[in-house]
Amino acid sequence: MKRAFRIYFPFINAGMQETATYRVNWIFYILGSVLGCFVSYFIWHAVFLSGEGETMNGFTLPQMIVYIFLIFLTSTMIGSDAAWAVGEEVRDGSIAMRLIKPVSYNATFLFQELGNKLLTEMFLVVPLIAGLEIVRTILVGSLQFSVVNLLIYLCSCVLAYLINFFFNICFGFIAFVIKYLWGANMMKNCIVGFLSGAIIPLSFLPETLGRIFMILPFASLNYTPVMIYMGVYQGAELLYFLGLQVFWALFFWGLSKLLWVISVKRLSVQGG
Amino acid sequence: MKQIKRLFRIHRIFVAQELKRMMEYKGDFIVGVIGFLMVQCSNLLFLWIIFNNIPSLMGWSLNEVVFIYGFSLIPKGIDHLFFDNLWAIGHFTVRKGDFDKYLTRPVNTLVHVMFEKLQIDALGELVMGIALVCVSLPQLSIEWSVLKVLLGIAAIFFATFIFTGIKTITAAVAFWSKRSGNIIYMVYMFNDFAKYPVTIYNEFVKNLITYVIPFAFTAYYPALYLLTGENPLYNVGMTVLLSAALMSLGVFVWNRGIRAYESAGS
Amino acid sequence: MIQVENLRKEFKKTIKEPGLKGSFKSLFKPKTERVVAVDDISFEVPKGEILGFIGPNGAGKSTVIKMLTGILTPTSGRCTINGKNPTVNRKSYVKEIGVVFGQRTQLWWDLPLRETYGVLKEIYEVDEKSYRERMAFLNETLDLESFISSPVRTLSLGQRMRADIAASLLHSPKVLFLDEPTIGLDVVVKDNIRRAIEQINRQEQTTVILTTHDLADIELLADRIVMIDKGKNVFDGSVGELKTRYGQMRELNFVTDSTDPESALSYREHFSLDSEDVSVKREGSSVKVRFNSEAVAVSDILAYTLATVRVNDISVKDADIEEIIRRLYKQGVD
Repeated sequence: MKRAFRIYFPFINAGMQETATYRVNWIFYILGSVLGCFVSYFIWHAVFLSGEGETMNGFTLPQMIVYIFLIFLTSTMIGSDAAWAVGEEVRDGSIAMRLIKPVSYNATFLFQELGNKLLTEMFLVVPLIAGLEIVRTILVGSLQFSVVNLLIYLCSCVLAYLINFFFNICFGFIAFVIKYLWGANMMKNCIVGFLSGAIIPLSFLPETLGRIFMILPFASLNYTPVMIYMGVYQGAELLYFLGLQVFWALFFWGLSKLLWVISVKRLSVQGG
Repeated sequence: MKQIKRLFRIHRIFVAQELKRMMEYKGDFIVGVIGFLMVQCSNLLFLWIIFNNIPSLMGWSLNEVVFIYGFSLIPKGIDHLFFDNLWAIGHFTVRKGDFDKYLTRPVNTLVHVMFEKLQIDALGELVMGIALVCVSLPQLSIEWSVLKVLLGIAAIFFATFIFTGIKTITAAVAFWSKRSGNIIYMVYMFNDFAKYPVTIYNEFVKNLITYVIPFAFTAYYPALYLLTGENPLYNVGMTVLLSAALMSLGVFVWNRGIRAYESAGS
Repeated sequence: MIQVENLRKEFKKTIKEPGLKGSFKSLFKPKTERVVAVDDISFEVPKGEILGFIGPNGAGKSTVIKMLTGILTPTSGRCTINGKNPTVNRKSYVKEIGVVFGQRTQLWWDLPLRETYGVLKEIYEVDEKSYRERMAFLNETLDLESFISSPVRTLSLGQRMRADIAASLLHSPKVLFLDEPTIGLDVVVKDNIRRAIEQINRQEQTTVILTTHDLADIELLADRIVMIDKGKNVFDGSVGELKTRYGQMRELNFVTDSTDPESALSYREHFSLDSEDVSVKREGSSVKVRFNSEAVAVSDILAYTLATVRVNDISVKDADIEEIIRRLYKQGVD
């Protein structure tokens, strides 16, 4: 046991050291993104000041603040490079290499990304949530934070990540058809961003539109976890939306497997 | 004069090349532009939905906000079109050791870097900005004069160099730290504040984007002048002054950076 | 023509302590130390000479070259070409030199090769007539015609190297700096490039400074060698002088029918030699014996070999420069 530890520890050590150097660079990136959040905050602050009454479409200002920062946190946590990675492999042909390896295509990439995320997320989740709740408590005057909500939120995030991951894998297969993945990626991110409530809470949209968006898989990525955290979804509604997340995760997982089989057939016909 | 003509001849070759590439990969170009337009459209959708809920944003009407927003895209787009190569310096060029070749050529390194690339995708940004300005203009009762038009054009020209100056400074940091790509990204984030009227922010933010990282002078203040005709000396004059100051600072930091430049490996 | 006087370059390196604790410490309170990469180097290069610049990895060779090409600023000392100093006026200095980096290209990845030369023409302000003559000459010497319309990114390594060399010569520089120009190339291409360099040097009197690990380059091209080790200039002289001073190693080659010549021939015991002074390598029926001619005379070792085994063919030659350099790199120069 001790021997195994001595063999593997240097790798973990090296990995963490690499992340430590890379970390400084990453910090600036996160700071930049958090700044974007603050822009959002200030605009909403001005919006609420310009409006009448305490609430807008069901949100009070403190709730809006929580929403903005949580959406940011959730987006960071569930983000996935899967589309890009798959696209690259299709482009340079190395996707053929995966055929040879007797490992599940999805699994290797999934665990790799999870590993990366675990370390970086630790640094983000705690300070952000702590800071947010402190501000919220001050603004509202009473403690709104609920551990239960936090825990269910985290579970929902895991589901959301799985949906995002498999969706991205499926999207990556488009690289077989479109050459310029960068533009397509930008379009995807934009549309998904909007549909997931990252730009504006879905409840601000006209009734019918909002309801359609809620059922689409993208709302499950961002809007659902945040609503859970804020305690908006309770009881039966909560179970419904969690169930919806599970459904979409399974759907995209299945779709990715199907697309994989089709691609394999296509590759063998074309001869790589 | 001969020197400037020479530099433009060099630039022309790269421009021609980029146009050729665009023709060859028309699909890529179109997808890129559409993708970009989509991002802008979602921002506009956001504005439209907001204004469905409030009569005015701290006293600003939808048209005014759209005007300022569109105006902000124009200098940003021009800078993005011509000087995008500075991003590459911060992200890859110095780190990978590819900067050496610039130093072995008898051209000013900064000019060389800037002229080497034309980012044609940025046309999307530019077109959107112009479109938004055109759409909102008829609704706004602006009194036009020859002076206003001239100052407006001057403001756009100089505002472009506020972007370029800031980009040069942050890119040059890479000469010391090997990579500064994300620093450029972070500083550029402040520009998102400048797309909206600065009066909606609190004093701290307002001062930050007016005096510290003066993106406010790329959109709000010049646009304010066009809308109200007031204070051209401050609203447009400061834009000119700041762009000159930032470009000078950029050149200074860049040259210092080259002296400290350590090249890479063997 | 090229004067290097007391050139010195120091770098500030951050010291990273080993282990996890170390790397976190270096994030917050980095400790720096001064590393002297180039320590007081002086030499001169007359016009038209081909200088071979050698030294082990990390010796400071590339740092010297980078100072000579205007990329790095010296900490102290100076280098000049015909009196021009790169730290004083980089642009004027750089016009007189051409640089080829073996490991990186100077060309624009997406431009067709022809366009690249068009841009360089403007950058170096070459007039139309000279440009046309030059391109014709370079085309002929380096055989560019077959790929001059292709984008640079589609060229093979050999083609790219030739293109890079042509690019560096377009403006008829007085000095050509070549940093590992034959790296990764096959034998035929290497030969062509060496011939091209030699032709240009002969026809145009272009001074050439050649940094290389390929010692055949040195042997075939260099008039003179400067060797750098640990930042210091440790040898400055011709190839012949190098061989005379350090080239005691000789090579004895013979072909034998004997099934086990190595056990029959025990040079070490017979001549009481150190392992340094003799080594035997057998490939099939050919045997190669490297020996120190100061420890054992050629005639003695010849006689012993002929007496001990049946020899069908035998020859003695100078150890090649590689052997000399290898020992110098390993032991340092005493």
